[in-house]
Amino acid sequence: MATVLVNLAGLVLMGAIVWWFWLSGSGDAGARHDHH
Amino acid sequence: MAEAEMETLVPALTITGASCQGCAKKIRAALEPLTGSTDRVEVDLENQTVALPADTDLADASQRVTDAGYPAEPLWQPALSVSGATCQGCARKIRNALEPLTGAPERTHVDLEKQTILLMPGIDRNEAAERVTEAGYPAQPLNEEEPAEPEQPEPEPNTAHQTPEPDKAPEVEAPAPASHDDQVQLSVTGATCASCVATIEKALMSVRGVTGAHMNLADNTATATGDADPDALVQAVESAGYGATVIEDPDAADEQKQAQDRKQYRDMMVKMAVSLGLGIGLMAYGMGFGSMMISDANQLTWINLGILTFAVMVVTGGHFFVGAAKAFRHHNANMDTLIALGTGTAWIYSMVVSLFPGVFPDMARHVYFEASAMIIGLINLGQALELRAKGKTSEAVRRLLDLRAKTARVIRDGEEQDIPVEQVRKGDHIRVRPGEKLPVDGVIVDGNTRIDESMLTGEPMPVNKASGDEVSAGTLNTHGSIVYEATRVGSETALAQIIRLVKKAQGSKPAIGRLADKISAVFVPSVMLVAVVTALAWFNFGPDPRVVHMMVAATTVLIIACPCALGLATPMSVIVGVGKAAEYGALIRQGDALQTAGKLDLVILDKTGTITEGHPAVTHVHAAEGGEDELLALAAGLEQHSEHPLAEAILERAKSDGAPKRSVIGFEALNGKGVQGELNGEPLRLGNRRWLESEGIDLAGLDEAARAITDEAGTPLFLARGGRALGVIGVADAIKEDSEAAIRRLHDAGIRVMMVTGDVQATAEAIARKAGIDDIRAEVLPEDKAEIVEEMRRKGHTVAMVGDGINDAPALAAADVGFAIGTGTDVAIESAAITLMRGSLHGVADAIQISRATVRNIHQNLFGAFIYNTLGIPIAAGVLYPVWGILMSPILAGAAMSLSSVTVVTNANRLRLFKPRHQSETQEGN
Repeated sequence: MATVLVNLAGLVLMGAIVWWFWLSGSGDAGARHDHH
Repeated sequence: MAEAEMETLVPALTITGASCQGCAKKIRAALEPLTGSTDRVEVDLENQTVALPADTDLADASQRVTDAGYPAEPLWQPALSVSGATCQGCARKIRNALEPLTGAPERTHVDLEKQTILLMPGIDRNEAAERVTEAGYPAQPLNEEEPAEPEQPEPEPNTAHQTPEPDKAPEVEAPAPASHDDQVQLSVTGATCASCVATIEKALMSVRGVTGAHMNLADNTATATGDADPDALVQAVESAGYGATVIEDPDAADEQKQAQDRKQYRDMMVKMAVSLGLGIGLMAYGMGFGSMMISDANQLTWINLGILTFAVMVVTGGHFFVGAAKAFRHHNANMDTLIALGTGTAWIYSMVVSLFPGVFPDMARHVYFEASAMIIGLINLGQALELRAKGKTSEAVRRLLDLRAKTARVIRDGEEQDIPVEQVRKGDHIRVRPGEKLPVDGVIVDGNTRIDESMLTGEPMPVNKASGDEVSAGTLNTHGSIVYEATRVGSETALAQIIRLVKKAQGSKPAIGRLADKISAVFVPSVMLVAVVTALAWFNFGPDPRVVHMMVAATTVLIIACPCALGLATPMSVIVGVGKAAEYGALIRQGDALQTAGKLDLVILDKTGTITEGHPAVTHVHAAEGGEDELLALAAGLEQHSEHPLAEAILERAKSDGAPKRSVIGFEALNGKGVQGELNGEPLRLGNRRWLESEGIDLAGLDEAARAITDEAGTPLFLARGGRALGVIGVADAIKEDSEAAIRRLHDAGIRVMMVTGDVQATAEAIARKAGIDDIRAEVLPEDKAEIVEEMRRKGHTVAMVGDGINDAPALAAADVGFAIGTGTDVAIESAAITLMRGSLHGVADAIQISRATVRNIHQNLFGAFIYNTLGIPIAAGVLYPVWGILMSPILAGAAMSLSSVTVVTNANRLRLFKPRHQSETQEGN
């Protein structure tokens, strides 16, 4: 059960990353900046 | 050019009258100041349109093209009015919402100031309005007729240098655009890479009233043009995640920046000591006295230590978390995100283990507080070292700034008084004694001296200056006492302009750097994905304790993946390279020029003033009877009445040889023949062979001397008194002493050298032979030079054009890299990509060598950064574990990450030691 939950959480997290940084709000990846 | 092509250019202007590649060149050249490079302008001759980058100011662009002789109009029309679009994020959303209609986000202009959306013709405005409204910004279609036929933009004579404003078109009915030239300068902190520059400029542009924004990474200042409220500008920069203060006194900016850097360095070192101290302490405690595994005995201690770690993380690494949060809110991810996620994950895991050890299997009850603290410490250390090394890279500018004199000894009302240099006015007479620096530009009115101009021109020998000669601020009076009249003061001086130019070029990005930016932009979110995948892999397939391995591997991936090296690779080298070139008297206007100059394989030289001195001088004096001085005295007597350049050459020579001018009466200039007068009742004639022979004078005895003159591309002038030939004087535009050596250096660098000149073939050949030129084009009209440059480019050469920057302007613009030589005037600086401050061709060779070294340095940096990440990330993810059982510690990852950026900065600094080869020849030549 725990294994399924962790894997599911991981997949959701990956989906969230893709959605937040690529799909939602900004299609412009160029606006990101590195800081060092 | 491959990198430049990656950018999408959008058809933006309609033009008329552009019929050939020459026209296309002119248009590209006219738009270059706006787009930064001719490669970012595409002229479609068939459809009579010009494609530009999406953020180009179309009003300015169409004005420039119209001024260049091709009436132009923006293609875009204001199509929708919109409300609620307040920032660049909104603009992006609107562009994306319209993408199904326009085909690409770049095909929509959003004018935030006027709350208007501009679209290309043919797009359904009602549907567009619907889509924008759906995206959360209520939009209305604008009346189609009124702007359908956009009026010719009214000429605005003073807008030539207005900074570009994205998303603006002239025909929008709205309050008049701000055309104020007010500038607010901000000192910015926290901007460390090229991408930060873009973010800050965008933030400034979103402020109402701003017409232009430029962030300079070299000195961490941002300049906003327009009539915006300074506080609003500061707020905009701060909300973008950086610190900003208004610079009240630009002169004090440098000191302010240095003080800021010192303070920042101290702060970082303190933070480093605190966090690293805690990390080491925790490690020592865990390994020496207690255990890093939670047990009933040490649980409370670790909870307390966890709270202490949290406090230290907030104090010494809070800026990472704040930066990450700000970026996240804007759908961005940066280095702060990785650091915050990495250290945050380690701390949260450790805290959960400390609070609820029972939830975890025995082997997984390990705490990693020390990792969080040490990573933050190491990164602070890396940033401090980077800051210090970076300070050194901008030394070139600082050295130029140091050239400025603080005070001037002005003679007012007959009295000499020392006043601050800022108070010197045009027309003031200034006394400068030997060993003193000149405070402003001017013209000598009294005295003569030798002036060391090496700091501005790279010319190593002091130059003789006498009354009437121009002198520049920042140069050193080495010899006599002079009085000179101030002609340019404050920001108008050549020195001030050079400083501005160097700073601007240092902040600019060559194409290769833009590529690195694009990579690093998608890099951080990708790393986050890799970290999750790594975690899941360890969880599903790894050995026990799986939870620990999963956490360690993911944290290490986040920490080691540092695009900082990638982001720093280009700008650091550019800063050093541009500064180095300035040291040798080559002012580079654009980072792009630096990159292209490294690739040159053909240099086209203008003859007059470039290879040669640019003005005729007497090269031969051959007397058939009497002495040479007598010949010169007679010729000077005749020529003193003439204004012909050849006359000047003869008078100059007579003066320097101390030959007194004979008094000649009845002077007459005969066009195409020469000059004549009367001396003691006898006719005296100076002119060409045909004329004198037609007067019945026998010149046979002078044939050999005349041939020697023509062989060296000179013009023979025969002098006859009565019916006797007295001698011949050769006048030629002499080849500069060091031209030949400089051309040899170009050959050594594998570059072919071609000369273009309006002279006849024979003269051109003579000069080419003497100077060692490979190829010549003679009898070329000035307007055809650009065509020759074009032709060579079509043949596949990467071409440099070297000229004097004024009549060669079209050819300079047509070339891949234009070099304006020896003038240092405003016109030259504006028209060429590289301006050589001294008149020597060695500057071209120096600039090319420095460019090659810089590009090599950039490649090394990018290669290093790339290798670091391609090796580091898989190792961090644990690919070595199945074979050797090696799993990298997050602490080691933190150290490696800091090391990578320090390495890049250090490598860039290595460029400072670069010396163009054969520099000794330059000195000999001068």
